Amino acid sequence: MIVSPDIFYVEDDQDFAFIMKYAVKEVSDHLTVTVVEDGNSAIAALQRYENEKHRPKLILLDLNLPGVSGLEVLKRIKEISYFKYVPVVLFSTSDNVKDVKTSLEIGANAFLTKPVGYHNLITCVQSLYDFWFTHNRSIN
Amino acid sequence: MNLNNVDLTNCDREPIHIPGRIQSHGFLLAVDNQTLTITHISENITDFISSSAGDILGLSVDRFGEIAGFSGNGGKLSQLLTLGSTHRSFDMVNPYPVHINNLDYYLIISASGPLFLMEFEPATIEYDLQNQIGKSISGILSGKNLRSLLHHTAREIKDIIHYDRVMVYRFLEDGHGEVIAEFKNEDLEPFYGLHYPASDIPKQARELYKLNYTRIIADVNTISSPILTRQQDNAAVDLTNSVLRAVSPVHIQYLKNMGVASSFSISLMAHGELWGLVACHNYKPKYIDYKAREGAKLIGQIVSSALEYREDEEQDQQLNQFQHAMGMLELHLLKDERIVSSLTKQQFSIQQIVDATGVALSLENEVTTIGQTPDQMQLRELFDWLKETMEDTVYYTHRLPEVFHPAKAYKGIGSGIIAAMISKNMDEIIVWFKPEQIATINWAGNPDKPAVLSENGLLNLSPRNSFELFSQLIENTAVKWTRAEIANVVKIREKIIDSIAKKAGEIRILNERLKRAYEELDTFSYTISHDLRTPLTSIKSFTELVIATNKSLDDQGKKMLSRVVAGADKMNFLINEILKLARIGKIDTEFVTIDMTKLIPECAAEVTSAQHAQVKVTFGELPAIKGTPALISQVFTNLISNAVKYSAAVSQPLVHIEGEVHEEEVIYKVQDNGIGIAMGHQHKVFELFKRMENVKDIEGTGVGLAIVKRIIEKHDAKIWFESELKVGTVFYIALKK
Repeated sequence: MIVSPDIFYVEDDQDFAFIMKYAVKEVSDHLTVTVVEDGNSAIAALQRYENEKHRPKLILLDLNLPGVSGLEVLKRIKEISYFKYVPVVLFSTSDNVKDVKTSLEIGANAFLTKPVGYHNLITCVQSLYDFWFTHNRSIN
Repeated sequence: MNLNNVDLTNCDREPIHIPGRIQSHGFLLAVDNQTLTITHISENITDFISSSAGDILGLSVDRFGEIAGFSGNGGKLSQLLTLGSTHRSFDMVNPYPVHINNLDYYLIISASGPLFLMEFEPATIEYDLQNQIGKSISGILSGKNLRSLLHHTAREIKDIIHYDRVMVYRFLEDGHGEVIAEFKNEDLEPFYGLHYPASDIPKQARELYKLNYTRIIADVNTISSPILTRQQDNAAVDLTNSVLRAVSPVHIQYLKNMGVASSFSISLMAHGELWGLVACHNYKPKYIDYKAREGAKLIGQIVSSALEYREDEEQDQQLNQFQHAMGMLELHLLKDERIVSSLTKQQFSIQQIVDATGVALSLENEVTTIGQTPDQMQLRELFDWLKETMEDTVYYTHRLPEVFHPAKAYKGIGSGIIAAMISKNMDEIIVWFKPEQIATINWAGNPDKPAVLSENGLLNLSPRNSFELFSQLIENTAVKWTRAEIANVVKIREKIIDSIAKKAGEIRILNERLKRAYEELDTFSYTISHDLRTPLTSIKSFTELVIATNKSLDDQGKKMLSRVVAGADKMNFLINEILKLARIGKIDTEFVTIDMTKLIPECAAEVTSAQHAQVKVTFGELPAIKGTPALISQVFTNLISNAVKYSAAVSQPLVHIEGEVHEEEVIYKVQDNGIGIAMGHQHKVFELFKRMENVKDIEGTGVGLAIVKRIIEKHDAKIWFESELKVGTVFYIALKK
């Protein structure tokens, strides 16, 4: 049986994913993170979660992915009604206005520019946690 | 034809080849070329032999020989005629020496229609002319150029025939003549340089000069002798080839008026045309015999061919110079040089493709001159006039002041111009200048008054009786442009236009390439900055992670790793700045009205909050402008940021921003009282990554003002500044209203 994590993170940059795991642990010891490295794996994993009826509490999605792009993955997620209320946060080095606009149109719940540095990342994850896990608990 | 009918108005039509009379120093017989009987005879025959004209008319030519008592060489006259007619030329017969009453005569025979003319002239020369003529010719040909050749000609001719005055007279384009060489007795006043109107030597006289290369008028005061005949039709004998042909009464009067008693002339021919005359005047009657005249004729022929050659040579020499200059200019135009410098700065300039004393070029937005040209103001006026009036691409005149009055002011420089229009739209034109050529023409008598009223109120037969010097000012006139010069100008114009077109093409290609390079650079900067961010993030994050989680790290280690983090931060900042710069290239400018009273304070607030600076920012008038809001905001953010940053250290930092509305633009200024920018570095200020010496200790990347400049350029706006070290700096921006 597969248990869905609290945070499902699609990220091809292994370094960033590594740091992210530390940052998440720093914010809360109890939070679980699953990282997949490309769009196809993400879609496959999400389909399994759907089959098993498990919902991650938050999906973090890198925009620039090898193969299937982040926006494509976002589109697929939004097509699955089971994940309708799972918050999807785009997470990218880009701060291109066009990217932001497109992803919000497709249905992203937020667009975050990747912070630089561990401390900044902790701050960032902390605010995500506060907003999506604590204050908006009702959504999940 | 009645002599009284001849006046100057019909002078050109006077049939001077059939005067019906001969000069009386010799006598004439005309013989029927079939029967060899005498059909005409000059009345003055009685002055030479003891028979009257009536006795001789109708006789055979040999019978005449017997009556005249020809002795010595025994041959019969009929044999001479037969010989000449067989050979169709009397060259081998002429002159045929005869004795009449123990006097020496030359018989000169020529053909005239159905007649043979037999003319008897006194023979006077006893010595051998050949030797003297040979010497004269070598003296003449020693002249290195045309002028000296002709001067020597006058001298040598005078030496042979001993006339009081020998002149070389040249026909100019309009038919009038000029004395261009003279040799004379010392007591005579010079005619050198004088001009004679075209009517002095009418057209048919010139035709005769072309047929008979010498002409003698022995004594203008003797009465010519009529030619008598018994023939019923009384058709006048054609005396074209006659050596004794009587002179037109008009010409006799002309010579008399000039005080000349005897005249002799030698035709100078070039390219089959009458080029000029060697005109010899004697003030007492003078006769030179056939042999002397033949000698003079020979000299005339040799001089003719020499001058034809010399003139061609001198023209060729000039043409060659033109052509050489043309060739060199074409070569330079082909090379990758600025057009103006290839036409003016090389060994051969565009001035040298024609015989000009100056040239002015309006090319590539500047006026360049070589040699003597009118001043800039006058050139401007001339160019404008040409632009308005020129219909063809090349225009020329040798009398500019007559058609364009302002040119009177510089007639000494540009009475003649030739202009090549390169581009009317671009105001590009080239004009060559020639000075006013003849300030005065010295006429031998007023050319406009050839005829004067005589005492009885009738038009005097005389062409004119005054040869007093008449100076006529010929103003506003330059030497005419030759066909070769015009052709060169047409040709160089084409070459220049080709060259301009080629250069325009090259510039367009360069421009395209530059644009592409710029785009590539933008893409490159964007991508590279973007890609640099990822590893940089790793560096910073891992370092921070190690510092935060590694318990075995001592203080020293933490300190060192924090330097890594600081370095990464700095690099990150730099990358962000470059990204901003690169992104400007990707943004399309639009011109919308921007409310500056909102934009400026917002920018200022952003800056002060970011920099935590204790700087007082004040605003003056903030008029609206047109631009792309995001970019304009960036400009002011950067400028205010600099102003704040570089004045933060002074005791009472003050930044002031205000705009002023001008006719076509709004000029904004951002003023501070900070550290200032050193003089001599102004041009570096806007360069990428350039930072001034005095800001080393202040954070910065050297990208901010480069961004500002790019945005300003994209807006077709202007930026400049004034600054003084330790006093402050004012940046000005001129933006669209």
